[in-house]
Amino acid sequence: MTTILEIILIIFTAIIVGLFFLGLSRKVIARIHWRYGPPIVQPVIDIIKLFNQTGVSHGTLFNFGIIFSLAGSVVVLLFLPLGKICPLSSSGGLLVILYLMLIAPLGLALSGGEAANPNASIGISRKFLLAMGYEVPLLLIFLAVMTHYNTISIVEIVNKQIRTGWSFQHIPLLLSGIAYILILPAIIGLRPFEMIQAPQEISSGPMTEYGGKFLALTTIQHAFNVFIGISLFVNLFLGGAENPGYFFLKMLGVFIIFLFVNAVFPRLRIEQAIRYLWKWPTLLAFAGLIIVMITS
Amino acid sequence: MDRNKIGKWLRSPGKMGQKYSLHALYFCTGCGIIEIPPTITARWDAERFGVIPVATPRQANLFLVTGYVSLKTLRPIIRSYEQMPEPKYMVGFGSCPINGGMYWDSYNTIKHLDKYIAVDGWIAGCMPRPEAVFVAVTHLWTLIDKGMADGYKRYRENYRYYRENQEKILGKLEWPPLFSNV
Repeated sequence: MTTILEIILIIFTAIIVGLFFLGLSRKVIARIHWRYGPPIVQPVIDIIKLFNQTGVSHGTLFNFGIIFSLAGSVVVLLFLPLGKICPLSSSGGLLVILYLMLIAPLGLALSGGEAANPNASIGISRKFLLAMGYEVPLLLIFLAVMTHYNTISIVEIVNKQIRTGWSFQHIPLLLSGIAYILILPAIIGLRPFEMIQAPQEISSGPMTEYGGKFLALTTIQHAFNVFIGISLFVNLFLGGAENPGYFFLKMLGVFIIFLFVNAVFPRLRIEQAIRYLWKWPTLLAFAGLIIVMITS
Repeated sequence: MDRNKIGKWLRSPGKMGQKYSLHALYFCTGCGIIEIPPTITARWDAERFGVIPVATPRQANLFLVTGYVSLKTLRPIIRSYEQMPEPKYMVGFGSCPINGGMYWDSYNTIKHLDKYIAVDGWIAGCMPRPEAVFVAVTHLWTLIDKGMADGYKRYRENYRYYRENQEKILGKLEWPPLFSNV
């Protein structure tokens, strides 16, 4: 019974915190531009509006893909500890998360591909190329963390960090942490790696044919994605937290730092992004893995 | 958000959402588009009213026809308007969509936009300043509140009239009718 309550609680917290982050990003970027900016609840207003519009469906796979990607994100959420709350703590761990993180882009690709718009196809191919780019360093980082703590359970990793200090205070994991910082904008789709949506060149990419409630669901999926990327970083390297409030505070700090990067950087092209992702973060993560294997 | 609007939000969330989140289709038909970049960027900042430009008609619910409409741009205007999800709001921007403006005797611009598309409101002027866009947005809020921004309903009801006018000026249209009452 408590597990079901925890599952519902986690999903709603993720929606609220993710949408708050999206609203905050618009507000912070507006302040950096010296604008006043929209109210911080603007994404919620947008979603209310989108659910009250007519939406055009483009086929069965179009509807199914969005549900698929939302379900993938929700399942990943259940494996991530929020403070002490983690409904599926006993099963899986980092390896399962690594597999499940691919479901969300796959669902969006299925759904956007059904719409048969050339811009959507370009966006989807960019999305998968970018995923291929950041999955390699991400796997190396996960391997380093799992080797250092000698476990695959993310709850165990958080507990060990609470006893012995953040992962950043462990010298062998320092390089892996820096590599994760370098790929985090690619995971949550912030500006140097924003080429998936790119409204100015491919008219918002996979989202081209979405309108009405379909766009609302993809916005919620994006909020989940932001939440997952940052909370994974906080759990692995910033020590997790004992209670959810402190956990969200850490997430907020990380997100605001990446917003500043987002506000001042231009967009990379996809091949520049792949070249970057497979050079510096991968080298750092590989060096980190070797250091961890020597020291442990 | 105002505290005294909470009652309104609870009574009709859909209407309030449509008021405060107008996603404008970023589609330039003429010279009037030159007033839109200062409107949406740091100088006048339309985002504080919830107005942001979006790239595709599927995501938009506000259509600003900026400037004169030539016969060639009328075709994509109609197609974009028909792709937008309802409820959608159409605003003619500048004098030219109203009555032709300085192109009143031109052979290849249309003179009255509302013969071809249902228009919810007009912004007069040549050029209207960005402040006029904000006046138009606040006026559109009042219209939405009173249920008078019903251009999409008029378009659906009088679709035969609009389609006939479109075919008269553009010749045979290569897309099927949007509604069945033709």
